[in-house]
Amino acid sequence: MEQRLASTCRMTVNERKFVETALASDLRVDGRRPFDYRRLTIKFGREDGSSEVQLGQTHVIGFVTSQLVQPYRDRPNEGTLSIFTEFSPMADPSFEAGRPGESAIELGRVVDRGLRESRAVDMESLCVVAGKSVWSIRVDLHILDNGGNLIDAANITALAALSTFRRPECTSGGENGQDIIVHDPEVMEPLTLIIHHLPIAVTFAFFSEGNIMVIDPTHKEEVVMGGRMTATVNSNGDVCAVQKAGGEGVTPNMIMQCLRIASVKAADITSKIKNAVETYNTERTLRKVKRHSSTVTQQVSVPDVIMKDKQAENIISHQEEMIQHEPDRSSNCDDEMTVNTRTCIKTEGNRRDRCTDPFVGGPSNWDPYLNKLSSNLVGKSQDLLGPLTISKEQQESKSNKMAVENSPEHATISSNSETLGVSGPRQQTDVAKSLKDAVKSKARKKSKTSATTS
Amino acid sequence: MPHHKLAAGIPCRICSLPFALPRSSAPTRSVPKETLTSEMNAETSDAPPTSLVDRTVVPGDTVLDLTAMASQTIKLGAGLRQDCDTISVMKAGKLRLSKPNKYWVESSHKRYVPCVEDTVLGIVVDCKPDNFLVDIKAPTLAFLPVLAFEGGTRRNIPKFEIGTLLYVRVVKANNSMNPELSCVDETGKASEFGQLKDGYMFETSTGLSRMLLSSPTCPVLEALGKSLSYEIAVGLNGRVWVNASSPSTVILVSNAIMNSESLSGVQQKIMVEKLMQRLQ
Repeated sequence: MEQRLASTCRMTVNERKFVETALASDLRVDGRRPFDYRRLTIKFGREDGSSEVQLGQTHVIGFVTSQLVQPYRDRPNEGTLSIFTEFSPMADPSFEAGRPGESAIELGRVVDRGLRESRAVDMESLCVVAGKSVWSIRVDLHILDNGGNLIDAANITALAALSTFRRPECTSGGENGQDIIVHDPEVMEPLTLIIHHLPIAVTFAFFSEGNIMVIDPTHKEEVVMGGRMTATVNSNGDVCAVQKAGGEGVTPNMIMQCLRIASVKAADITSKIKNAVETYNTERTLRKVKRHSSTVTQQVSVPDVIMKDKQAENIISHQEEMIQHEPDRSSNCDDEMTVNTRTCIKTEGNRRDRCTDPFVGGPSNWDPYLNKLSSNLVGKSQDLLGPLTISKEQQESKSNKMAVENSPEHATISSNSETLGVSGPRQQTDVAKSLKDAVKSKARKKSKTSATTS
Repeated sequence: MPHHKLAAGIPCRICSLPFALPRSSAPTRSVPKETLTSEMNAETSDAPPTSLVDRTVVPGDTVLDLTAMASQTIKLGAGLRQDCDTISVMKAGKLRLSKPNKYWVESSHKRYVPCVEDTVLGIVVDCKPDNFLVDIKAPTLAFLPVLAFEGGTRRNIPKFEIGTLLYVRVVKANNSMNPELSCVDETGKASEFGQLKDGYMFETSTGLSRMLLSSPTCPVLEALGKSLSYEIAVGLNGRVWVNASSPSTVILVSNAIMNSESLSGVQQKIMVEKLMQRLQ
């Protein structure tokens, strides 16, 4: 009996009275105004589809995974989306491991309804073979710390994780074209989910018979509140779901006011999520682009360098909607950097700073005799060129237009990787040859440049 | 005239080591330095061990070498252990020294380990015929005998509802039994123990409560008292009760205290000044 008593939340009568009297004068215990959200931070892990959200003291992490399954009988050409929640006992003394309690099930249901009923995630694009196999997306939400308002935080976590999740590319192949081959992420670039809009859940707490309403209640306010309502809206103003499970009665005017406030807050939170996802995506793309251009420094030939920039641009425009000239500039900078610099670049501002610094030492590092230097440097570049060939293949598969142009370069690179010792001086002589050609005969130079730059 | 009253009890523990030292105390040495510098070598990388006083120590640190002090009596408090010839640390925290020879480790936790003669804030959880069950953030619930009040008899048993906040004193504390509390001091007088009415209670770590109870007055409380009038009760179990005439003052005081844990004295004063400026 004592154990159970020890694990419940204790609120004194003083606190209860104080929270209500303070709210009567529009004051909240942590100093917020009634319609202020707590500070929201969205972070991502190294893997695609993992997110960590902190809303004040509340801390939630989410993971998205996918699997090929048989579709439901009544929806043979749609994928499935399922939400699982885990209320870890470290979050709150009243959470117990094992079977989820009432509030856990309610939370999962509200998040699920917001995504499914509003068709935020496109299900039909998850179909691989109609009636036989579709992608099943599973979202796992773990509550790490309960500081109040778990529904909002869990919803944001799920949205952030889904926005950065990438499912493997799969094609049909095999003997009779019936088998489905799931491609490794190294071989073929995985695809994002198609998300039409972001449904944001906004929770309201009611006090003193439904007269006072606050947004984003903390743990203490949740113990004291009389009723709670969650409105899931998106930034277009559509109401995706409303949840009010018991509690005090509320007038219809109050509910309309809540919906209006919710749509304002939803726009704000949507922009925060989108910014965080964009930062993550640019960083992710940079990680890939850096891998390519770090091998370019070994090859030294200028026409090839220009080729790679264009390909890098195509990758970026494929993966992201907006075309920005920043990656182009950064990949130019990266070309000048030596192989050993492998720092993680987080923001675009940092990227620009990074670009300028290597330029200072740029010309002195760029040494045409670099390839002759040490054997371990050569060995390192050999390792690097290995993954380069694989990624080159994946780029080829992606951009069919560039397939023709890719192949001659692909051929040159593969030949380089085989005989690296020879390639160094050969490229040097290539460079020397092009310069000499510029002086001697224009016809020979024209044919050479047309072969490499086409 | 700003009125600032500290309802604090006598800050002592039965192992006779005062928990509260002035924050500005300089580290003192109880052993002559020359004998120690020759002995302490491999364990602490740089200085003689007594300069670890008032510094953060972690389990495994050796703080004293007993071969240097043959015929001295040293009193050890919480978090220290004797390992043949050395005294080593068991709990992470700050090493404290009270002249001439008392050492202990002070750490800050969310949980409270009951000690006799501590004054704490408890919440009534249940009422039994013989005693009230009170939660003091200890591993087990504590018992408050129904008669442990000034002038308490079977006829005038106080009626506390569940959730009442009490300012009590720990009378018995073993780790095998439930702790026992009392609402009277040793002489039998009530002396501000008992129910705390109105106001607001919040929870902090034990380290912050000790800082708030230290003498001279903690800088944050002093700075707040210069411009606001409030009433405060601090329990050594990490609970603080604040009362003032207006809710905004209470919220201000509670948030200022909660933010002041990791700040030094000067930083606390600056924080409070900025807070007051923002309000005006």
